[in-house]
Amino acid sequence: MGIHQKIVGLFLAASTLVFSQEKLIYFEPSLLRASATIAPTRFYNHETTVAFINGFMEYVVEPKISVRGEANFMAPNGQLLFTNSPEKFPRNFASIYAGFGYHLGKKNWKIDLHAEPGIALAEMAQDPYVVVPSRFQWSACPSYMLKAGSSFYFSKYCHFFAEINFSNGWVRKTTLSSVSLAQYGVSAGLGFHLITQKHDE
Amino acid sequence: MKLNFLFLMSFLALQVNAQEQRTFNPAGMLSLGGRTTVSLFNDHKNEMTGTGVGGQFRLRFSDAVNTDWFFDYITSDILNYAHRTDYHIGWSVLFYPINHLAYFHQPKDFKPKFRPYILAGHCFDYSKIEAKDGISPLDGALYAERWSSAVQAGIGTHLELTPRFDISLTGQYMIHLGNHIETDFDFTSGTLSFHEHKGASLAGHLLVTVSLNYKIARLWGFTRR
Repeated sequence: MGIHQKIVGLFLAASTLVFSQEKLIYFEPSLLRASATIAPTRFYNHETTVAFINGFMEYVVEPKISVRGEANFMAPNGQLLFTNSPEKFPRNFASIYAGFGYHLGKKNWKIDLHAEPGIALAEMAQDPYVVVPSRFQWSACPSYMLKAGSSFYFSKYCHFFAEINFSNGWVRKTTLSSVSLAQYGVSAGLGFHLITQKHDE
Repeated sequence: MKLNFLFLMSFLALQVNAQEQRTFNPAGMLSLGGRTTVSLFNDHKNEMTGTGVGGQFRLRFSDAVNTDWFFDYITSDILNYAHRTDYHIGWSVLFYPINHLAYFHQPKDFKPKFRPYILAGHCFDYSKIEAKDGISPLDGALYAERWSSAVQAGIGTHLELTPRFDISLTGQYMIHLGNHIETDFDFTSGTLSFHEHKGASLAGHLLVTVSLNYKIARLWGFTRR
């Protein structure tokens, strides 16, 4: 067999694969997906970057609409830039959100938009930094998260995702002025999904 | 007599025709949603813009009347010497004044649409004002609280993105009726004190709310086809 025949044969085989993949659409109502990843996040008012552990679960209720819940935990000692004023940045931080997603695009490659109200939990010093040791106190802060990203569903159980997010909130239980929790972050990785209901063809 | 009978039959036929055109009655529709609220123009002295989070369910009573049943958790600053926390639990009636227009009754192909409304309602409110730690010698123990009742009214619109999902934007003014807590801060000595005035006092704020809602069930009614 000559090189030309091999190349033609390869293209024919590849075109068959593409055809067979086109027929399978994994993103559909009743799809349940979840993942956990590390999400670098920048608190830009504090010029501080932290590492979040981010986990989410999402259920597709309509071809374009999903319900989603997620949580972020700041990795212990995860600050990449430390501040000398502990009353200006949380010692520990976590947040939980629940909201909806809107999905654009056809077939298995989606553009995802999310809006999620939530609560941020922050542990802040309650004394000026000159007081040592300082008292710390947790507070629950109203927050919201806006998220945009893209997902590619390449198999029956797995997909890739990449997202950027912005969230905001204020810690009121502080020494003096309230502390802004405005932040943006990125998260990406491998997600897992499952079609939970059979649909009639 | 025969003429009367014919007239009655023709009248009934018209009614049947009208019902056929109206294929969907949304009464009984239950939605569930989350919301984010911004509190502006607070009556409390030196109080700054507040932010809140909450949830709601929405129960529709007729084509033109809907209801929101909500809970909000709102926090705000009183300059940098105190902070305030508000818990709202209440309900609002939403009236769609132009819901009769053909734009809102698209029987076949759904298209995203705005659905404006006016609303009014009532809520119960628990407020707590706390001193910022580190300012008062009483440190943390210094706070004042009150229960009050409130009425609210405003306007808003749904942005219906699918038949079951909508984003709603509401602006409403809420007036609280109850005891009044006055916050006095002496900037010279850095001393904070609270004074509670008994009796009915009016204090209000503007609330701007964005909510995300999804219809989850039909509690009553049926679809006529």
